[in-house]
Amino acid sequence: MPDASHVGRRYEAPGQVVDGAAAEAFAKAVAGSDDVYAPGVVPPTYAAVYCLFPTLYKLFADAEVGVNLAGLVHGEQSFEWPTPVRGGDVIDASAVITSVEDKRGMTFLTIEHEASRQDGETVCRGRSLMIIR
Amino acid sequence: MTVAVGDEMTPLDRTVTQDQVNAYADASGDHNPIHLDVDFARSVGLPGTIAHGLLEMGILTEAVARWAGGFDSVVSVSCRFSKPLLPGATITCSGRVTDVDDATGIAGLELSALSSSGDPVLTNGRATVRLPL
Repeated sequence: MPDASHVGRRYEAPGQVVDGAAAEAFAKAVAGSDDVYAPGVVPPTYAAVYCLFPTLYKLFADAEVGVNLAGLVHGEQSFEWPTPVRGGDVIDASAVITSVEDKRGMTFLTIEHEASRQDGETVCRGRSLMIIR
Repeated sequence: MTVAVGDEMTPLDRTVTQDQVNAYADASGDHNPIHLDVDFARSVGLPGTIAHGLLEMGILTEAVARWAGGFDSVVSVSCRFSKPLLPGATITCSGRVTDVDDATGIAGLELSALSSSGDPVLTNGRATVRLPL
């Protein structure tokens, strides 16, 4: 299980290519049976794909931290997008564990994310709170 | 668009089906069985499969973008995933302007989302948007 000794661990996922077709499929999934809101525009929460998951999966695979995926719940999420992402952008994503706390028999894991584009511009900052029951 | 404190965002309703959750799993790469496998979801104490929190946040972000005039106007969004959204339910995303900074051209909103089951599925929601010049 994660504990305070894991604070500061960092996970890097360089070279995430934003695929326009994949972003379109993502936009369709968010729309469901409604029309896609802004066809051709990468939805902001596509940050899940280019920023969150590539680094989170590395964290989840870190056997020394030992996250129990069966008990994992996404508690909170924040995103900030200083500049929009476009199809074809190449993005370096990173994540760092900033806090691990035990409360009410559960573990609260806070992860801060950052994603930057090929020209060095930051395109996304995020914070995830994961609760492990 | 003139924006004032207290303005309400036009609410966005969307019925989220299991097919949509399956599509979001494929589009996001998050195939956690709590979203896809009823028997697994029940085995970990859930009433059934649940929508991805980030899918709900995608709909919430779309609601903000529709009000603000486009995805590129959305600077930040955050929320707490308070209660699960069950496939078949309708999510209703709402928001209200809490502050307007004419100097920076940024407005802040508080956001929330209710399920048609009556559950507050997203709480503590916040967004900032760029106002048109």
